[in-house]
Amino acid sequence: PDGTKRRRKRNRWGNAEDNKAAGLMGLTTGIEAHMTAEQIEVYVLNLRIEEISQKIRINDVVPGDGDRSPSPAPQYDNAGRRINTREYRYKKRLEDERHKLIERAIKEIPNYHPPSDYRRPTKTQE
Amino acid sequence: MSALAGTTATDLEDSRVVQLLNMVTPDDLISDDEYEEIVEDVKEECEKYGKVVDIKIPRPAGGRPVPGVGKIFVKFETPGGAKLALRNLAGKKFAERTVVVTFFSEEYFEVGAW
Repeated sequence: PDGTKRRRKRNRWGNAEDNKAAGLMGLTTGIEAHMTAEQIEVYVLNLRIEEISQKIRINDVVPGDGDRSPSPAPQYDNAGRRINTREYRYKKRLEDERHKLIERAIKEIPNYHPPSDYRRPTKTQE
Repeated sequence: MSALAGTTATDLEDSRVVQLLNMVTPDDLISDDEYEEIVEDVKEECEKYGKVVDIKIPRPAGGRPVPGVGKIFVKFETPGGAKLALRNLAGKKFAERTVVVTFFSEEYFEVGAW
């Protein structure tokens, strides 16, 4: 076979009806009013934080087929249970992203309150 | 052909340009292949709402922060196309993220002022 033809990887679009997290956060996504670039930036920052919070809450963390990356080698705990399951990995990824965004929001948005289920990660390394 | 004179949309609602937000991260835009795919995906979907005349997706360059990275700008042939796109794309999923859409100034689009 010729290796030159790149297989179309995926179509990234999905319907609004299938967008569970968006429905739950209840934030406007089609903005017709005029907002400054700064206002929009803050709005989208907050929206992404809410979106991740909803995904974690309803456990909608694993992407659809085409959007998944290759799985790493399995890791097991002492009892032989797999630690790095797909669900665990994607949830961790979202939590890390949310943590970074919340740090930014605290700096950039006056009187910003993180979502109520948010716990600052404790330093467990070392 | 005059992109600037006489076509100024005073009201943003009459703009032919939409701004798509919360769709891509800087990391998604580094590889040329992935970037081309994203442009293709966006074009294909937007064409459903009107003729697309231009798409601009700012890319990160050499680790320095580049303005506009993470935003996608699409210019339609008519304000009607932009309006239809705004209403239909808002709330859709793109790579597991919720699409946010606003109108965007045509003048700013032309000069890349984001």
